[in-house]
Amino acid sequence: MRGAVRRSWLMVPADDAAQVEQATVTAADVIVLDLMEFVPEGAKSVARERLPETISTLAQRDAEVFVQVDKELLYADLSAAVWPGLSGILIPRPDAPQEITEADRLLTQLENTRGFRPGTLQIIAVLDTAKGNYQSMDIIRASRRAWGVTLGRADLVMDLRPEPSGEIHLMPYLMQRLIVLANAAGVMPLGAWWRAPARGLLASPDDTYKAAMRGRRIGFKGALCLRPDQVEPLNRGFNPSSTEREAARALIAAYESGTDHETAVIRLQDRIADLATVTQFRQLLADANACEQHDSAKAQARQRAAR
Amino acid sequence: MAKHHVRRSGLTMPVNNPRFLNAVWTRGCDFVNLDLEDSVPESQKPHARTLVKLAIPTAAKGGAEVFVRINHDYVEADLEAVIWPGLSRVNYPKAETAEEIRQLDVIITRLERERGIRPGTVEIGANIETARGVANGYEIASASPRIKDFGGGTGYDMSRDLGVEMFVNFDQFVYGKGELELQTRALGLPVHRAAPFIANTTGSVSDADRAFLAAQASRKCGFREGGGLHPNVIEPQNRGFTPTEDEVIDAKWVFERYRGLQRSGQLFEEVDGRVIDIYEVRRAEELIEWAELCAERNADKAEAVARTKVAEPR
Amino acid sequence: MVPMTVQRFVNDAWRHGADAITLDLEDGVPQRQKNAARTGTKEAIPQVSCGGAEVFVRVNKPYLYADIDAAVWPDLTGIMLPKVESATEVSEASSLLDGLERQRGIEIGSLQLIVLLESALGVWNIRDIITASPRVTQVGLGESDLCQNLGITATEEDDPLVYARGRVVIEGIAADIQPIGMVFPVSLTPRLQPQNELLQLATMARNLGFKGAICPHPSWIGPVNAAFSPTPEQVTYYTRVREVFAEGVARGTAAVPLDGKMIDVPVDEWAKAVLHLAVLCKTRDEAKQRALQQAGSAPA
Repeated sequence: MRGAVRRSWLMVPADDAAQVEQATVTAADVIVLDLMEFVPEGAKSVARERLPETISTLAQRDAEVFVQVDKELLYADLSAAVWPGLSGILIPRPDAPQEITEADRLLTQLENTRGFRPGTLQIIAVLDTAKGNYQSMDIIRASRRAWGVTLGRADLVMDLRPEPSGEIHLMPYLMQRLIVLANAAGVMPLGAWWRAPARGLLASPDDTYKAAMRGRRIGFKGALCLRPDQVEPLNRGFNPSSTEREAARALIAAYESGTDHETAVIRLQDRIADLATVTQFRQLLADANACEQHDSAKAQARQRAAR
Repeated sequence: MAKHHVRRSGLTMPVNNPRFLNAVWTRGCDFVNLDLEDSVPESQKPHARTLVKLAIPTAAKGGAEVFVRINHDYVEADLEAVIWPGLSRVNYPKAETAEEIRQLDVIITRLERERGIRPGTVEIGANIETARGVANGYEIASASPRIKDFGGGTGYDMSRDLGVEMFVNFDQFVYGKGELELQTRALGLPVHRAAPFIANTTGSVSDADRAFLAAQASRKCGFREGGGLHPNVIEPQNRGFTPTEDEVIDAKWVFERYRGLQRSGQLFEEVDGRVIDIYEVRRAEELIEWAELCAERNADKAEAVARTKVAEPR
Repeated sequence: MVPMTVQRFVNDAWRHGADAITLDLEDGVPQRQKNAARTGTKEAIPQVSCGGAEVFVRVNKPYLYADIDAAVWPDLTGIMLPKVESATEVSEASSLLDGLERQRGIEIGSLQLIVLLESALGVWNIRDIITASPRVTQVGLGESDLCQNLGITATEEDDPLVYARGRVVIEGIAADIQPIGMVFPVSLTPRLQPQNELLQLATMARNLGFKGAICPHPSWIGPVNAAFSPTPEQVTYYTRVREVFAEGVARGTAAVPLDGKMIDVPVDEWAKAVLHLAVLCKTRDEAKQRALQQAGSAPA
């Protein structure tokens, strides 16, 4: 993986102390404190008030912290969110590059006044509308803070429904398109290959694991979820399995011993393999390694916090 | 008006076939697409043009909306022949550039004015049947506010442009369909022509069972428009695209449930593994509204048929 | 695709009936062999062309000038550019070819470019890339490198490149350029397979819109040629379609039923296109046959 290991992004309504507490005992790589999708109107000010303390508590543990803001209430939400311990923000429904530019500017102002090194706060663009997806490249390129991009709950926002095949209409297309353009723009594509009956990031642990695994195989680097019991399946699904790692090692070994001085293309049983094939497998092992290191770092952080 | 948006079933038929034309009001389709294009031989096209003006009210006798499919290469001659009162839409095939659409708009605007048709009445349906059309899709679809229907990316002409055989057992048009649907949605146009892929390995256009299954699967995906070449598919499409009574009852239940949630300040709940939230309520509301529109449409058609029967006793 | 450094492959390549042979200086050649490969190119070109195949050379992106310089000789059809990411790269290659054509007495503008897209940026920028020069005649994906660029290791269950492949077909055909490629999973993990399996897979590739495929092994050539040509059954069927439709037109209709299908203008147009392609393929095959016979009787 290039950059941080962020396989599981657990979304939690920021006004709900119990759910926040619950989130801290999961092994989530990232906790997303939500200010809009799951927070009723009446609870927004409570949610905002609690943020500085919540962020600071969470930051001492093993997960990174992001805040999901409402683009219609950008100033209020960002002012409430930018406190030491925050890694970045999620912005759902951006329709135009200007919205990202505005967020970038506000973040810069807040970084200046709240003790952040300039430019550290990252943006994840949640492209859950058709217009946002169509303008995706311009939206992503509107700010250098853009670290990642995801479809979010596009199946619900765009009203995309399950087909007889089990695939959610248009989603496989949007996913693969997102992965290409994210890489072209140099940002991380986040998401999983959800199938019916998964709905708007909600799925059983087993279905979550499958969605994560399939998502990883087409290029996603991590995914959002809404329930604590989805975290471990995401972590596991975004980590190459032991079968895959063994197969990778076997192929690399065969290639290295099989390459003669004449050509860099060899035959492994009936398979024709070249250097690019092998590099993919080396990358897989590197990814697995990065996950292991990240997990042990988190375990150590948890132990320290427990003392 | 509401009834113009219920287009569950429709027949595309050559305008120069009097037998088909005179009987179409009995078929029960929501729209009739009179064809000047691919089902009319070249030599017959001039004559076919002269038939359109009267064909429009003839086709409308059963309460159907009337569209005309013109030729990509004879825009001026065809539009002169077809823009008459009673026409809802011009279907334009093989659209490849925004400029073509602008040209259509100019001519239609003039003819509406000259012929006493309320300005803006005649819609344009732009059909994409080539790779170039897909590549230019967004520009085409945004070239005129008359465009209320946009899509394609599959079918005979698309297959010919790509050089592929049709009716093979896998989806050959994923990219084109995906691009066009994304463009359609990004422009806020209704998505009519996106349907879940159901293999048609026989190439049959008259399979009623397949038509019903396809219509139902389309509707469950949120789509509402059908159409075809053979009368056999009309009733299955009308049925497949109309919500069932059970679905309407369920939708009303969802609506009530959500009202309860709102009163208690909750954003969502899970009932028997099913989520009730703002998204589900929107879907339920749309279903109820669609069911009502379908019922209205059925009533309008029945009335038109009754009137015609009185006027033309057999 | 023939790695330049394997002499017996180079010697043998002309026999297999390929429409085109690509001498590979790039991913098929180990780093330390690249100099040797380059110097052998000039001799190899006439060697591989004697069976009637077109000849291309796949160059290295970092050694563009040196490789193209080593490749531009009479009998070369064109250059295969790997890992293209921008229109500028294509323009640059085209300018190099301009200069060398002039220097070496080759018809100006005749050398073609085959563009391989092997990164997300290449796929995204495809339109600008393939329209950057009229020399570009074909475009394809380098799927293995593309997966590497996307940071994934694809398995054979889930196809990660549906969008990318579809984009190549649509944008290629929209620009009047031939898209080349195969279907998943062999496009990503090429194998030596029974001929009938390869034929099936190549037929699917044709039905995705590809016009031909790069063959990593001679055993692919027969099935690939067959799959991308109309079959005898298709020729018979479409000849009948044209007859039936013509009869219908004479009767004044342009919609004629035949075996449960509706034959109208588009179907007749398609029949015409298939029969035309059949003629082109037959002509090409006959030309290759003649060349093979001539080469077979000539000293090696």
